[in-house]
Amino acid sequence: MQSALPPIAVALSNVSKWYGKFQVLTDINLTVKRGEKIVICGPSGSGKSTMIRCINRLEGHQRGKIVVGDTELTNDLKKVDEVRRDVGMVFQHFNLFPHLTILQNCTLAPIWVRKMSRRDAEEVAMDYLQRVKIPEQAHKYPGQLSGGQQQRVAIARSLCMNPKIMLFDEPTSALDPEMVKEVLDTMVSLASDGMTMLCVTHEMGFAREVADRVIFMDAGQIVETNAPEAFFSTPQHPRSKLFLSQIL
Amino acid sequence: MTFDPEFALSILPRILSTITTTLFATIIGCMGAAALGFLWEIVRRSSKPGRYTMRFLIDFIRSTPLLVQIYFFYFVLPEYGLTLPGLVVGVLALSLYYSGYLAEVFKGGIDSIPAGQFEAAKALGLSRLQLIMFVIAPQMLRNVAAPMGNYFVSLLKATPYLAIIAVPEMLSVALEIASETFRYTEPMTVVGIIFLTLALCFSGLVKVIESRLRLSPKAG
Amino acid sequence: MSLFDIMASILVGINVTMKVTLYGMLYAVPFAFVFGVAQHFTNGIPRLIVTSIIEFWRSSPVIILIYGFYFSLPGLGINLSAMTVGAMVLGLNIGGYGSQAVRAALQALDPGQVEAGYALGFRRLRILYLIELPQALAAMTPTFINQFIQLVKGTSLVSLVTLADMTFLAKALSQIHYAPAKIYTALLIVYFLMCYPATIVGRMIERRVSRGREVSHDL
Repeated sequence: MQSALPPIAVALSNVSKWYGKFQVLTDINLTVKRGEKIVICGPSGSGKSTMIRCINRLEGHQRGKIVVGDTELTNDLKKVDEVRRDVGMVFQHFNLFPHLTILQNCTLAPIWVRKMSRRDAEEVAMDYLQRVKIPEQAHKYPGQLSGGQQQRVAIARSLCMNPKIMLFDEPTSALDPEMVKEVLDTMVSLASDGMTMLCVTHEMGFAREVADRVIFMDAGQIVETNAPEAFFSTPQHPRSKLFLSQIL
Repeated sequence: MTFDPEFALSILPRILSTITTTLFATIIGCMGAAALGFLWEIVRRSSKPGRYTMRFLIDFIRSTPLLVQIYFFYFVLPEYGLTLPGLVVGVLALSLYYSGYLAEVFKGGIDSIPAGQFEAAKALGLSRLQLIMFVIAPQMLRNVAAPMGNYFVSLLKATPYLAIIAVPEMLSVALEIASETFRYTEPMTVVGIIFLTLALCFSGLVKVIESRLRLSPKAG
Repeated sequence: MSLFDIMASILVGINVTMKVTLYGMLYAVPFAFVFGVAQHFTNGIPRLIVTSIIEFWRSSPVIILIYGFYFSLPGLGINLSAMTVGAMVLGLNIGGYGSQAVRAALQALDPGQVEAGYALGFRRLRILYLIELPQALAAMTPTFINQFIQLVKGTSLVSLVTLADMTFLAKALSQIHYAPAKIYTALLIVYFLMCYPATIVGRMIERRVSRGREVSHDL
């Protein structure tokens, strides 16, 4: 199956975006190969979240071209739906649906978007809940879980849609320190399965372990692209150096 | 002439016999008002022309008296060849009038849902209708249970307006008795007490439902 | 008859509409403050009595109260004009709602405010009007404006007890000239023009009170 997919998962060419007069993204060029793991870092307000939110069109771009799989993102809602079905996203604040149980959170989209039967959807959901190690919480509500557990559910919820690409938008920055590891472990295991991943995160251990490339953004631009080891030990750009000196 | 308890008691069954009309008008009216109000609010959020049209419609409904709206539908619709039974016209008018208030209530209820809920639903690929039905509506209803309930009680108290377009409900029966016997005090007191009791029971019920919702684990 | 002529004939009744509104306010505002404060201050049986009076005016259907008082009071030897009955019933009903806004606004204040007042040596009533009411006023204003609109609209009910307000004149007019569509449209427009400015002002104030919490999710 893997060979039938196009070798390029995501391609951004000359993408620019403005909020009113303020330019948040400037001439972004990025090609992500299938199975590649990319870690994106940079100071707050650098446009890193905005960039990955453009990939499933939670935000629209004004100039340039974004191609996901073999679909170009335009205002065509059908294409947006197509892309969203294949791209999973994990948010900083989990964004689980508070009125639904863990299991219902995981089966909602498979049933209504993928048109799976309830029974199949529940089976798939339990599989993934097992993988993120919380099958026993399936019938609880999100409010009854810890932050780390909620984020693992959010990952499972995305995986239930059988996505080809996963986007992570600072998945551990709203968590208490002792819960960061359980979420990162889940992400590492997902990476080892060959998932294409774009992660906005400052977790350097994670970047070193799984990233193929680290991208550093500042002021809406990609300033440096490097191998993780090289990026953290010998950053090339002065702004990368400054940033790393601040977070280390 | 003073208050005659025996007479009051003797007319009670006759007035109560039309309580079904009151309850029917209340229940259908509440359902219609909630459905229309939700529709207005969804259209208001869907596009720019939708926003301005709905804002005007809602403001117009809220800025004119219910009594006049009822007259309008009762006397004007037949002019265009649409003659409906008084009860239908009345329930229609009640639904429309309260839909204007409920739309505003729903607006507040939707605004207090965190933006992340909308984003998560979109990221999962849910369509607009699925987003509204499975993510927005259930969370909104939890947010608006109390104010919505208060408007439902208010609608109940507005059902005696139907008497003015000759719908046989409790107030019209009381007025009928009064004109037959030339005694006003007893029928008006009886019908007043019945409505007061109904209204207090309904608001008690609303309070119970509201506190149940607040205690449920889902609210966390 | 043109829409303009119709409006002109309807507007003859605006003085009755405005009179009922004005007199209604004279009942509503004092009732709201006196009973709202009383509910805030009392406990136990006195509070139960205060609450019962509020609930009687607030929870009874206004249309029944108007008919009831207008037709029954003469039988009990009390003769009040239709104007008095209308203004009193509408006013006390609106005042009942207003009292709840007053009480809620007072109860929402930090109890430390009252304690600070005592600590400064003020007596209870002075704390009420020097410290509590000025702060609570902003929170009640949106409700008061909404209730004012309800009062203006409610005045249409006095047409049922023979007062020649705008609604009464419109109804009479439609019995002479059979043109209900035009006449009732004109009547709706007149009420809309009267109430809409208050709606706008109310929304502006509400926005100011809840500033910073404004969000809107487009669908």
